[in-house]
Amino acid sequence: MTPTPAGTRAGQVPEPAAAGTRASRKFAERNWVGGSFAWLWLIVVMVPLYWLVITSFKTQANYFVTNPLKPPSEFTFENYQLVIESDFVRYFMNSVVVTVGAVLPATLISFMAAYAVVRGAGNRFLQGVNGIFLMGLAIPLQAVVIPVYLIIIKMELYNTLQAIILPSIAFAIPLSVLVLANFIRDVPKELFESMRMDGATEWGTMWRLAFPLTRPALVTVVIYNAVGIWNGYLLPLILTQSPEKATIPLALASFQTQFGVNVPAVAASVTLTTVPIVLLYAIGRRQLVSGLTAGFSK
Amino acid sequence: MTTLAPPVVRGQEPTRSRGGRSDSVLVWMVLPAFVMFVFFGIVPLLGVVLLSFATWNGITPTIELTGLTSWKAALTNPGLPNALWVTFLIMALSWLVQTPLSILLGTFMARQSRYRGFLAVFYFIPLLLSSAAIAITYKSLLDPNFGLGAGLGIDALNQDWLGQANLAIATLIFVVSWQFIPFHSLIYQGAVRQIPQSMYEAAQIDGAGRVRQFFNITLPQIKYTIITSSTLMVVGSLTFFDLIWVLTAGGPGDATRALAVQMYQLGFQASLMGPASAIAVILVLVGIGLSLLLRRIGGRADQSQMEGA
Amino acid sequence: MKRRNFLTLSAGAAAGAALAACGNEGPGGSESGGGGSASYWSLSGEPGEPYRKAAIDRFNKANPDSKITPTFFQNDAYKQKIKTALGANQAPTLIWGWGGGGLKSYVEAGQVEDLTGLFGDAALKGKLLPGSFGAATVNGKIYAMPVETVQPIVLYYNKKIFDQVGVSAPQTYGDILDLIPKFNAKGIAPFSLAGQSRWTNMMWLEFMLDRNAGSEVFDNVFAGKPGSWSDPAVLDMLTKVQDLVKMNAFQKGFASTAADTNADQALLYTGKAAMMVHGSWSYGIQKAQGGKFVPDGGLGWMNFPPIDGGKGDPSNTVGNPGQYLSISSKATAADKETAKKFFSTTLVDEEEKAGWVKSGGVPVLANSDSLYTGDDAQFQKDMSAIAAGAKTFAQSWDQALSPTAAEVLLDNIAKLFQLQVSPQQWVDNMNGVIGK
Repeated sequence: MTPTPAGTRAGQVPEPAAAGTRASRKFAERNWVGGSFAWLWLIVVMVPLYWLVITSFKTQANYFVTNPLKPPSEFTFENYQLVIESDFVRYFMNSVVVTVGAVLPATLISFMAAYAVVRGAGNRFLQGVNGIFLMGLAIPLQAVVIPVYLIIIKMELYNTLQAIILPSIAFAIPLSVLVLANFIRDVPKELFESMRMDGATEWGTMWRLAFPLTRPALVTVVIYNAVGIWNGYLLPLILTQSPEKATIPLALASFQTQFGVNVPAVAASVTLTTVPIVLLYAIGRRQLVSGLTAGFSK
Repeated sequence: MTTLAPPVVRGQEPTRSRGGRSDSVLVWMVLPAFVMFVFFGIVPLLGVVLLSFATWNGITPTIELTGLTSWKAALTNPGLPNALWVTFLIMALSWLVQTPLSILLGTFMARQSRYRGFLAVFYFIPLLLSSAAIAITYKSLLDPNFGLGAGLGIDALNQDWLGQANLAIATLIFVVSWQFIPFHSLIYQGAVRQIPQSMYEAAQIDGAGRVRQFFNITLPQIKYTIITSSTLMVVGSLTFFDLIWVLTAGGPGDATRALAVQMYQLGFQASLMGPASAIAVILVLVGIGLSLLLRRIGGRADQSQMEGA
Repeated sequence: MKRRNFLTLSAGAAAGAALAACGNEGPGGSESGGGGSASYWSLSGEPGEPYRKAAIDRFNKANPDSKITPTFFQNDAYKQKIKTALGANQAPTLIWGWGGGGLKSYVEAGQVEDLTGLFGDAALKGKLLPGSFGAATVNGKIYAMPVETVQPIVLYYNKKIFDQVGVSAPQTYGDILDLIPKFNAKGIAPFSLAGQSRWTNMMWLEFMLDRNAGSEVFDNVFAGKPGSWSDPAVLDMLTKVQDLVKMNAFQKGFASTAADTNADQALLYTGKAAMMVHGSWSYGIQKAQGGKFVPDGGLGWMNFPPIDGGKGDPSNTVGNPGQYLSISSKATAADKETAKKFFSTTLVDEEEKAGWVKSGGVPVLANSDSLYTGDDAQFQKDMSAIAAGAKTFAQSWDQALSPTAAEVLLDNIAKLFQLQVSPQQWVDNMNGVIGK
């Protein structure tokens, strides 16, 4: 029951403004339930975040002594200093390389695979492959980490960023294919037909028809995978060794010393890691939202 | 631009591709993902399956194949029924809590206005934090002696949130929801925005109120999204580990010891790689079963919708 | 359905590959090519890391032709990392550990070098506390060098709270039982306990069993004698522990308090709890985090008091008799030589001793007493006296037992404190894993 835009041409850019007016007309009445819950949820979301930020300005010594919800009487920057001095910038860059290096190829090959799986509904091999992807959804990383480690050592990639990137790509595939395939399935058959009539190849159809139409799902997949890989702890821990190859989650763990967690330092590094991405999101949100909104309704 | 053609009946699965030429192109398309996944996903998984038929403490250079010994040990472990129950409980409750709230928030955010955009920025933040960071935060906030209750001076908040079996499960579900509702509501937001306005206009002309519009138009229209999001929630909940580990370490007692936690404790703490691998295989099997089930439900929805059209 | 055929096919091929991967690994350890370079993995963070680093720097400076490269990991990460590395024959040359059951499993897997010969040198062996070798010995042979510090577990108490309530420090277990209702009446938790961490609860059991029944019961368990937990003194001790839980001897929510965040220690120095059973390392944490609490003499400590009518020797203690360094049996001959040289020179020199004293600990190196002159002198002297004066210095159970048995033990201990298992069930469960 997917609406078909009349005469859609793939690759057209949606106009957010138009989409906006349409949306606001849609909900002419107030959504009281949603509205009050939204504000309640804001509080629920903000309390822990607020706690993280104020704790990052407390010293470890007065962390337990002060009221957990009150800002410290004297702000200290020693936690931030500690975090930055422990090579934070390098960890940050490593995390960026790993995340970008894994998410882009993972999304690309998953998209191709999802397209093939949907288009090749009658092909046993393709459906078999799809079944294998489905199976992958439930593979717990902790369970397979030892074999993965052995493979990486065999490939002589131990202690490199590729060692994190390659398995991360592999483990992003099942979910990405699932989400993307479900979305591509919604593309009306008629559009594929008309592409075929126009003499387009499968590759051409994939790029010019399916890719733009799948943009909302692609955005979802990119966010989901990026967040997962950005926060990944087990793979970097097992597959790298030297501090030059460490990523942010490993750095976070280094504030958990032999005899306890330095909570304010953890709070500071979480804050430091999160702020740039939140800013990026706040700036790029319009892009993102229009990506999510852009579907068939152009 | 916003003129929409009347909804077209959605095609079934795209027709069986005819020419072999087209199929071979499709095989090429699936190949990169397939090779990557087999190499780093399936091969290790088979290694795990193999390990489940072996006895290994994780450090000896040789691994002894011992048939069903490890499976027997895993299946007769008195902790297994509890781990299965806890896993199921976490799965069911986190789905029950997250789905309606995500739909509610997603529907709300779908309408564009400046203040909703502002809210959305904050909703997005929990997505960015690692499970470990979230767990450390909540552990501190919920500490009965140094946490929220002490901070606000409200005794009711001084519960032993993570120290009593039922409360600990409830708390875990809450934290899981805190972490993942933003993502799912983002998905629903996208889905709701794609519902053609014409459908609501028609409903309004028929005099349908907001609630009826929600149940008659919005919900049916986001059916596929609900299935996708549910699959992510349900299957994803099987592999929750970091969060539980830092928050409760499976405790109190074994009240929050889900399968993934049990597997970690057996494998990496008790050095019983065989039984731990058997549990991993069980997890994978349960996961496959669930995703197939959800796909089946999705398929049926597909058909009934076609009939209705 | 067709899917299944495909699966079986690829399964066969890949399983072969996985087996091959597990079987034949080249000698692991050092990625470096040159002779006489050793890798060293240990724990990161205060108070240990700076002194570990300093020792390696000293060695590398004194031996320009050989080099030790350290890597430090957080505690839990290290445990997982070292196990994965050993399993894949990628272990470092120098393996840091806790001795006991973990070391024994390394020995059985043929992963660590026999060092009995090295310590055949009486002059070298004599530089270390004799009691520290027990946890380094498996079947009469020494497989690890005791390093760093001796860490007995003691009973800490908040003197200010004791003054405020008007009571004096307990001399016997009976005194403790009398104190519990007095503190509870004032809204102060009698004991702070990080129950989620499980090994914290275990410290209680270790003392309760020892004071009740002496050290023989656990010796028998350690030796693998069937039914060792069935001693009536064990049941009695377990009942006493559950009585403590029932009379609210531990703070509200103790089951969810984790030792990692030091919240248990914070309870003591903020005066929310009056007493705490904890390792000697806790002193340094309370000093660092408790503001004026330790410098002002707020913290008191003592060996765990005797139980009236108990058979245990009141001088006995438990804890970590040392930390341990082993040499990987898979390392090259040159690397092993470097490691042994590190053991026999740098790790027993005067700077090493002074370093660990400065860290606030009691070194495993003998004759350290004259070095206790700083702020912490009294504490260090007392710990040294407890360690040296103990008739038996038992290693912590979870370290002494095999990892498999230790996990069952910790699980049952957590359930015991939750009142989820009865003492009798506890005994039955634990008898089931003796010798495993």
